[in-house]
Formats: sequence, structure tokens, C-alpha cells
Amino acid sequence: MSIRIERPEPHGGRLIDRVVTDPAAGKKLAKGCPALDIKPTVDEKGTPVRNVYREIMSTCYGFFSPVEGSMRQAEVERILKERRLLNEWIFPYPLVFDVSEEDHKKLGITSGDRVLLKLKGKPFAILDVEEIYEIDPEELATKTFGTPEANPEVVKEPFNKKHPGWVIYKSLNRIIYAGKYKIINEPKLRSPFDRFWFPPKKCREEFDRRGWRTVINHQTRNVPHVGHEHLMKNAAYTGDLEPCHGILVNAVIGVKRKGDYPDEAIVEGHEAVNLGGYIKPERHMVSILLWDMRYGNPLESLLHGIVRQNMGCTHHMFGRDHAAVGEYYDMYATQILWGKGVPSFGFDKPVNEVPYGLKIKAQNMAEFWYCPKCGEIAYSGSCGHTKEKQKFSGSFIRGMVAEGVFPPGVIFRPEVYKVAVKWWKHYGYPFVTPKYLVEREKELEVDLADMDI
Amino acid sequence: MAKLFVVLLDDSRLKKLEGSGLEKKVSKLFGGALNAFNLEVSDEHAAKILEEFGTARIDSRGAITDVPIAFNRVVFDEIAKKKSLGPEVMDGVLARVAEIKEAAAKESEFLPAPEIEV
Repeated sequence: MSIRIERPEPHGGRLIDRVVTDPAAGKKLAKGCPALDIKPTVDEKGTPVRNVYREIMSTCYGFFSPVEGSMRQAEVERILKERRLLNEWIFPYPLVFDVSEEDHKKLGITSGDRVLLKLKGKPFAILDVEEIYEIDPEELATKTFGTPEANPEVVKEPFNKKHPGWVIYKSLNRIIYAGKYKIINEPKLRSPFDRFWFPPKKCREEFDRRGWRTVINHQTRNVPHVGHEHLMKNAAYTGDLEPCHGILVNAVIGVKRKGDYPDEAIVEGHEAVNLGGYIKPERHMVSILLWDMRYGNPLESLLHGIVRQNMGCTHHMFGRDHAAVGEYYDMYATQILWGKGVPSFGFDKPVNEVPYGLKIKAQNMAEFWYCPKCGEIAYSGSCGHTKEKQKFSGSFIRGMVAEGVFPPGVIFRPEVYKVAVKWWKHYGYPFVTPKYLVEREKELEVDLADMDI
Repeated sequence: MAKLFVVLLDDSRLKKLEGSGLEKKVSKLFGGALNAFNLEVSDEHAAKILEEFGTARIDSRGAITDVPIAFNRVVFDEIAKKKSLGPEVMDGVLARVAEIKEAAAKESEFLPAPEIEV
């Protein structure tokens, strides 16, 4: 039996492409449609927590294949019950287009109508409404992430308003328009995000160009410290006959939490790793995903697996507390999902062994720390000097950055630190502030051309 | 169990401690790349810090982190003033909570970036 691993086909068998690149054709599709301005989802304090435009982008460009639009009620219910779409393919989260009662009344939309969705005041996409229904946002929020009673294998604490993903669902409007999206006015990514924009089709072409058959993905929402760099380098030793040909960094770009690094510093910080030669550019590539993170640990890992398989990756590294916040989930919930399955989520086997499941392979990794005795960055699964270890604590490093202490090269590569300082000078702060959040959600990551309809 | 507070020491801070005898208590972190004091914090003091500063937390090393930058500065001030790493340092810091909070309010939207070439 050959141990050679080939690039997996997209989840669902084909990449979704719902982007009209010819403006004249786009105009024609939107002619005469009632228009609706996309507004950010805000929490009870009025702080933006999500913008559905990111879901429309990621759907239409194929990151979420085989999803093609806002989900019907039966599909949402099936996802909450067994994490499957109506066409059987596994999927973790309900994705819906919600509308305020005021907008719904003003538009007078019924099933079968087409709506023009405007972004930053410009035509952006159309939604062909197949069904209109109502949700109970709090119930949807709770069922989306699970409960200790219903999902005892992985959920440890009931979700509440301290969990950013729960808050996103809780903050949705009650009215949902279900139907397929189509982008009719192709947005231009703003700098610096434009050079990291590799939608699945383009990403697979880029892998071909580079001669990468096996690629391992690194999920990130952080400026990389040296511990992250070693995680990438070492996880990439997996592969088949030889280590993975490529390492794809896929940074989640969307609403951030106060205290996170700005998105611009995250993508350019990762780029600095390869420009500095710490992982040479021929083996390391930075890309982005537009998505407001739900912090759903095992469920988020499932979404990450789908997105990165669609991008053409063969492997995905997962650490402890993957995409987690707080202690709502078991710290190894992602490893449980990929290692043996979570029956209460509908998976009695690992998610890449169930029918209509994933093809991408999980590489579960433990921790890296600095060991003064070994005199190097060590893997916790190998290093026996647990008393001497010095952990890469994110909080400790953030504290050091905020104090203006130039970090030693064993913590942050100087090129990476300088990127963090570059964006610190730009925004007057090294981390995300409420002002940054509001400004970013006004500007977003894209610009659109004028389009008279 | 007592907690920990890591006080980072750069060259200017080390200079202020010259002759205090505290130089001998400097810990070398990350293979000597970083100098620091590991200040022991009693449970009582730790509880008070968590109560006074909403962002503060105890990380996986048992260290108090995510306090305002002004807090870090005052901790060093108190060490330098008292020439000690004993509990009187945290007594001094907690007596200056109002001052720290006032400075922290100003630093929540702006922090001067280091003057380095980028």
C-alpha cells in the first residue's frame, strides 16, 4: 500500500464559485431588486461582533464549500442536531442572513424575491430568497455551541455572554432570509490584506505553481512568537514519504477582542517569519480567511478543517485549547473530535472517518517551551526538564511588548517584533482597542467600485 | 499557594538597582536572554489585585498577568524604593491603586511606541 498522500478534493466534491467577475453581467442580475444595506451585528453595548459580509465572501469564494448561501430552517435544525447539511456533508455552524424587523417591513420581501445587498453604500451581492423564517437567537446560540447536559463529552460549562461566539448568535436579528448568495461587484482587498488573499481555487493553483503536494495548515489569530514558529516547523515534519512540502498560515481576519493584536500586525508578522528566513518563503505562505471567529473549539476546528481542505491542504495542526476562550470546552475537545469523535455532535468516529466527512488529516500537537537545560526550544512531549521549562505565555509576552521591552530573539524574532511596533505606531497602541474595533468595522477589509444599477 | 509576579528588567532598571544587593536575585530567563525578578505574591495580595483590576488573571505558570502597564511600573518603583522583594513591595503597590487606575485609564487608548527603527 502506498503511503503517498494526494491533495484532497474539496469538501462536497467541488469548489463553490458564486462570484460574477463581469460588472455588466453583475448589473443585469441586480436590476430592479430592492436594496438592503449590510449592517454589522452588534452586542447589547453596541460593539460590533460580526459582519455578515465576511460570511458572504467566504461562501461565494468557496472557502465554506459546499455551502452556497444563508441556510434554510431545516438545514439549521439538522446542523444543530447532527452537524450535517441537508446534502449530508458535515458542517459545524448555522450560517444565516438576519434582517431587522424594520428593514424587513420596509423591503416587503417574500420567498422567491431577489435582494440587492449593499456594502459601504455600494452594490455588493444578491440574495435569492428561498425561505423567510424566525429564530430565537438565545436558543440558537446555546444549541450551536452545546450544553454540559447534551454534550457531556466536551462541554464543561454552560455558555453565556462572556463567550464571544455565543454573543454573536445571541445578537442576531430574529428574521432570517435563506437562499443563495452571488457577489455581483467583486470587492478589492485593501492593503495589506490584498497580498494574502488566496481563495481556494487560487490557493490550489498557487500550490501547483510551487510544486506542493502535501501542505500542513497553521491556524492563527496571533503575531507569531518563536514557540509558534517551532510548532509550524516541527508539525510540518509529518507528511508522507517526506515532510510536508509547504506550510500554509491561514489567519482569521474579522472582529477581534480587545487585547488581541491588530489583524495587519498578525498577517505581516507571519510574513516576517518567512522574509527573515526563519522558515524560508519557498516553504511558507501566508493567507487569510474572512470570518468572525466563534471560538467554538471542536466546532471551530471542524470549520478550520473544511476551509483548509478546500484550500488544498493535506494536514492541519491542532493544539490544546484550539480556537478556545474560557473553560467552556474540555481543553482537548478538538483532539477528541478528530481522535475518536463526539457522538453527541453526530460523530461516533473521527470526523475524517465518517461518511461525507473530511479528507484532511489532523496533526495534534502539544506545547513548545524554552528549556534552559536543553538550551533550545523544546517539545513538551520530548523534553524531560519540566521543572526548568519556561513557557511561552501569550499574556507574559503581551505584557513585555506593552512595557516597551525589546524581546529577546528567543521569544520574538526582531523582524516580527518590528512589524508589531510598525502597527503600534500606526494605531497608537500595540493591541486592539474599542476605537480600533469601531474604525475597522467601518472600513472593513475591502473596497468596492461604483456600480450604477 | 503564593503566586508570582514577573518584573522585567532592562538595562535602565538594572542601573537603578546598583548597590541595592538585589542584583543577586535577578533571574535569568530564556537562556539568559531576559533578566527579571520573580516576585512572590501572597494569596491575600493576589486576591486584592484580581479584585481591583478587571483584566488581571493568573496564567498557567501561576503568574499574575494582564494588569495595566502602570501597575508594572509601580511594582518596579516600589522595589527600587524599598530595595526589597518582600511583601512590603505589594503593600506599597496596593496603597497606590488609585494612582495606578488613573494612569491605566489614560493608557487604555494610547501607549507610546518604542523608539526603534521599523
